[in-house]
Amino acid sequence: MSTTLSRPRRWSLLALAIAVTSVLMFPVYWMIMTSIVPSERLLVTEPPLIPPSDATSISAYTSALRDLPVLDWLWNSTLTTVGAAVLSTVVSTLGGYSLSRFRTRGQQAMGFTLLFSRMLPGTLLIIPVFVLFATFGMVNNLWSVTLVNTAATVPFTTWLMKGFVDAVPVEIEQAAMIDGCGRAGALWRVIVPLLKPGIAATFTYASILTWGDFLFARTLMGNPDGWTVTVGIASFIGEFSVDWSGLMAVGLISMVPMILLFLLLEPFLAKGMTTGSVKG
Amino acid sequence: MSIHQPKARERHPAAPSSASPDPARPPAGLVREHRRRSLFAYLTLSPTLAVVGLLMAYPLYVAIDLSLRGGQIADLLNLERNPLTLDNYRDVLTAPGLLSDVLRSVVYTVGVVVPAFALGLGLAILLNKAFPGRRIIRPLVLLPWAVPGVVVSAAFSWMLDASYGVVNHLLRTVGLIEDNVAWLADPDTALIAVILPTVWKYYPFFTLVLLAQLQSVPGELYEAARMDGASPLQQFLHVTWPAVRAASSLAIVITGIGVFREFDFIYPLTGGGPNEATQTLAIRIYNEAFQYFEMGTAAALGIVTMAICGLLLKFAGRSVRREFS
Repeated sequence: MSTTLSRPRRWSLLALAIAVTSVLMFPVYWMIMTSIVPSERLLVTEPPLIPPSDATSISAYTSALRDLPVLDWLWNSTLTTVGAAVLSTVVSTLGGYSLSRFRTRGQQAMGFTLLFSRMLPGTLLIIPVFVLFATFGMVNNLWSVTLVNTAATVPFTTWLMKGFVDAVPVEIEQAAMIDGCGRAGALWRVIVPLLKPGIAATFTYASILTWGDFLFARTLMGNPDGWTVTVGIASFIGEFSVDWSGLMAVGLISMVPMILLFLLLEPFLAKGMTTGSVKG
Repeated sequence: MSIHQPKARERHPAAPSSASPDPARPPAGLVREHRRRSLFAYLTLSPTLAVVGLLMAYPLYVAIDLSLRGGQIADLLNLERNPLTLDNYRDVLTAPGLLSDVLRSVVYTVGVVVPAFALGLGLAILLNKAFPGRRIIRPLVLLPWAVPGVVVSAAFSWMLDASYGVVNHLLRTVGLIEDNVAWLADPDTALIAVILPTVWKYYPFFTLVLLAQLQSVPGELYEAARMDGASPLQQFLHVTWPAVRAASSLAIVITGIGVFREFDFIYPLTGGGPNEATQTLAIRIYNEAFQYFEMGTAAALGIVTMAICGLLLKFAGRSVRREFS
């Protein structure tokens, strides 16, 4: 909605928005600042609040990329994230369809189980999951991280997708079936194209969750070759002296893919959240 | 779509499949068609079933088993099974500090959800108004949602650093503190120090959900309210709040469960310390399991945590259901 507001009121709203945004974005600003100003200028009790003009450099970025396997971490994160987001989207589209269109005992039990499984603490699940994967020799395997993250997102994304399928009138697929489409054909050719906003919301949600996952990746990936970027970042902390510039540089690099995805799909997200939150 | 619409699922509780007015029923309702339908119903559900069964239900079963039989990590790989016993539960429930861990989890959850909701709602109201630059501001304030939790933790641990942290510097500059505060190392402030980044990470979810709700409110409602001489507060109470109420309670419950089990912010920042000041149930489970390798105790603690979570949810669930009916 947009109401017509008087001119001074619009500008005062902008001023308020800028003030609030500055405070909220300060952590990001400080990360950028830390990554481009040499550590010795910041490891003082009164660090400068704006970058000193005589001392800014991107050496934190170049040395992080040169000395650390940051690109490998990013690649591992990309593999698990894309894998989990695709799996989660496929699984929850089918599951959401089933929950929305059929109302047998199986669907009801599953709906309840999905809500219930959100209550399982990740730190509890990870113990048996670790044992399960260890039994099959799948510890230190990116597939295990991918699968666990898929499972972690599916309870929410299935409800999200159910909301979207609910919004598609049943008559549309009935018409397709009268025209000779099978059920699967109607689902694939008629419904899935109408679910694009839902698919975008699900994909984004699963990507953001998996890209940010630390618990599962850290527990299942002891071998540094398979570290994702979050595990890599966490490895900075807890060392005797933390390289803050390098840490912030890698942290900012790790944010870029999600920001791009987020900007691309953000218009769909708000819509997805209404449907999902109201119906789910 | 109306936000006051009750959930269909709750309107027809446990309707038997044959009698339920199924909207997808094709014109010709033959027995064979019925079978094919239910086959398709389960076929589309089976991937969800597989994922949730293999990676949620089975682990839950193992966790329950472990809590009743297990001890040290070595027992997990040992195929001989210990006898069933409630020892782990007895140990967990009588261990000193359980109650303070529960309280700490609750304080942490409330301490995150209340400010995050307030901030999210305020921003949603602001972003719902037409002002120049809104299109740039909007993705910016939603951005923290896309930042990995570990990065958020790292940024805040640097900003809250006792000696060189910019937070201390800023607070000294404006005169709120005289000496640096060791935010993360001081048991009195550590919980606040882990709440801050969690709020920062979670408020955009509320903004997103509430903004979507507000955008479905016709602008004429506000104009009519203004013409009737409604103050901003009255507009909020009579137009804005009714529109977002239902979505609010659900978003609060979903976020609340997430925060109650949160690991990614506390663990990298403090590991549960100093002196257990930030040890929530989730952190305690992890430490029992992967620091002391007491798998049985950890599993029992996890089940207890789940039960507590379920109780809290039942409590909150009633108010959510009321919103929907």
